[in-house]
Amino acid sequence: MANFFRLTKNQHVELADGRTVTVTDKLGEGGQGIVYRVRFDTCEERALKWFFIGYLKDPQKFYSRLQKNIDDGAPSDAFLWPEQLTKYVAGEPFGYVMKLYPQGYESFAKFLLAKVQPQSNAAWVNAALNIVDAFKSLHNKGYNYQDLNDGNFSINPTNGKVLICDNDNVVPYGEESGILGKARYMAPEVVRGDKKPDTHTDEFSLAVVLFMLFVGYHPLEGKRTNFPVLTTKYEKRIYGENPLFIFDEQDKSNAPHETLHKYAPAMWNNLPSFVRKTFQRAFSQESLLEGRNRPLGQDWFNVLVRLKSSIVRCPFCGEEIFLESDAPTTCYNCKRSIKAAGYLKFKSRASQEVTAPIFRDAVLYDYHMDSSSKDFLTAAAVVLEKPGKFGLKNNSRSKWIVTTPDGRTFTRQPGETQVLVADCKIDFGNGSSAQVIVNN
Amino acid sequence: MVMKRPEIPRKMCPVIFLLDTSGSMDGAPLGAVNRAIENVLPELISMNNDNPDNEIKVAVMTFDYDAKWIVGETELLSPDDVSKSWRDLKATGYTSMGAAFRALNDKLSVSHGFMQRASGSVAPVLFLLSDGEPTDDYKAGLQILQQNNWYKIAVRVAVGYGEANYDILREFTGNEGTVLHTNDTDELKNTIRFVAVTSSRVASQGSSVSPDDPNANPDDNTQTVANALQNQGGNLNAKLDPEDDF
Repeated sequence: MANFFRLTKNQHVELADGRTVTVTDKLGEGGQGIVYRVRFDTCEERALKWFFIGYLKDPQKFYSRLQKNIDDGAPSDAFLWPEQLTKYVAGEPFGYVMKLYPQGYESFAKFLLAKVQPQSNAAWVNAALNIVDAFKSLHNKGYNYQDLNDGNFSINPTNGKVLICDNDNVVPYGEESGILGKARYMAPEVVRGDKKPDTHTDEFSLAVVLFMLFVGYHPLEGKRTNFPVLTTKYEKRIYGENPLFIFDEQDKSNAPHETLHKYAPAMWNNLPSFVRKTFQRAFSQESLLEGRNRPLGQDWFNVLVRLKSSIVRCPFCGEEIFLESDAPTTCYNCKRSIKAAGYLKFKSRASQEVTAPIFRDAVLYDYHMDSSSKDFLTAAAVVLEKPGKFGLKNNSRSKWIVTTPDGRTFTRQPGETQVLVADCKIDFGNGSSAQVIVNN
Repeated sequence: MVMKRPEIPRKMCPVIFLLDTSGSMDGAPLGAVNRAIENVLPELISMNNDNPDNEIKVAVMTFDYDAKWIVGETELLSPDDVSKSWRDLKATGYTSMGAAFRALNDKLSVSHGFMQRASGSVAPVLFLLSDGEPTDDYKAGLQILQQNNWYKIAVRVAVGYGEANYDILREFTGNEGTVLHTNDTDELKNTIRFVAVTSSRVASQGSSVSPDDPNANPDDNTQTVANALQNQGGNLNAKLDPEDDF
């Protein structure tokens, strides 16, 4: 019998549905298996993930679970989901085929290593929103991921589109994949051995990924975790037993190391206060030690759309910045202070405040026009500035009803611009409205 | 323009080769070693390009009349730098394995060796290759090395060729699952590559795989690699065409 641990070029592999694929190249290798490029007789190409079955406790059960995931279908387009398993023969390795990575995506690792830079803040926030959105759809489908880490994502640096790979450990809620995850990304209760991975521990891993995305460093690695060697003992201490956020408000003993994490304070301060607060909640001692009061996917979603609508350009140096709605913001580049004249205050969503600064070129999305919309890509309004006044241009498909503080009302059709006056209220239709608040 | 993102600090994953260049290695065996190292370096570079946790750094020691650091005398180098400056090794002299172990012990230190790294390190890979009986007191050297804490947590692997003494290699790794032996020069190249690449990958990438045995010592990195060599192994007896060997 041939040794199928590793496949060789031109080797044929039979799929469960009877079709055959031919191995044409090797694409990568990890701890769980190897990914090959394969081709159908029709010349259509796919990737084949081929498992090191020696690591699987119960290969048949693993195979059946993959089959069920295939039958149930991908939670969203962001997932490179298994399409078809190879034929099962007891005791022999198997794998599954999936789509090949499209062009234009770079591994999250490359961003962390600063080999690739996002093209704009909007692309960067889109990437975060796409990750949150993908995991929300996964959880909504009753799955949890269990092994969420930096190796699972690829991001398009131009538009922030995200692809999630390595979906083999995805299991229905309540089941265990037998995978604990990667220590750096695991919830502390999993590291401590108190709990097995589930949806709630996924939420923690998600916060770690988002922190690393925006700040570029690990949230629990500061000046007191810098041991000469990382053994299991220290790993448990840093990520499980004695974890402390590097920007913990009360306890500064694990603040960023001044040379190792030199740019962490600047990256952190570049984020508006509402994002910093959400991270402080995600990595509070309450969250780290008791697993309580963690922001959920929907909290992150609302915080991140708010972040997206805070993107403006510094009027002094032209750099992209995130502008606070109601407080001065220091431009990271020219260090000058910038303050919005006021902001639009929307109804809160899932107990998250929704605001957008009134500042030239700030954009509102379909999300802001419709209280049930989750569309953070379609621009629906933009803030315009003329000497002495601000306006909000209606780029949506609906008419707006504007009410002034003295009770007069106007209608603004798509394409028209409304002058923004203190305390006036704009009803965007579809259950969404905002009030103009002037900053002191 | 947007704010430029910083590079995340990585821990060092030292990959240290101890290569027997005694006279008996001359010719085809040393040729195989040279080709193998040439093939391993690009794989290590590619691992580094995609690993935000740890960065592989390389040291190479040869031992014949005495132990000599070809790479790593002052500091460990990136596989990229090693690749650029790599010169084929030459074989001559005895098999001073005891001297090799003592020289390794001297370097496996943060204060006076090459293990200093601001962001810290993970367990190193110690790769030993030999083709014969040590000609010095290997035991005294090994005993000193075995007291070294880096040695204790290290991934220890060994490849024996020809007349290599299996028991001594086994004594060095402390695990029979990480000692591989061959009598064939073609196979030697593939074996070195397989062992070096697999152990470097396991050491540098860590693993998301939970141990089968919950009572296993999680810091027994040599055992983790023994499992990997078993579970990820190709057919090492086949004479693989390098073009097909992906």
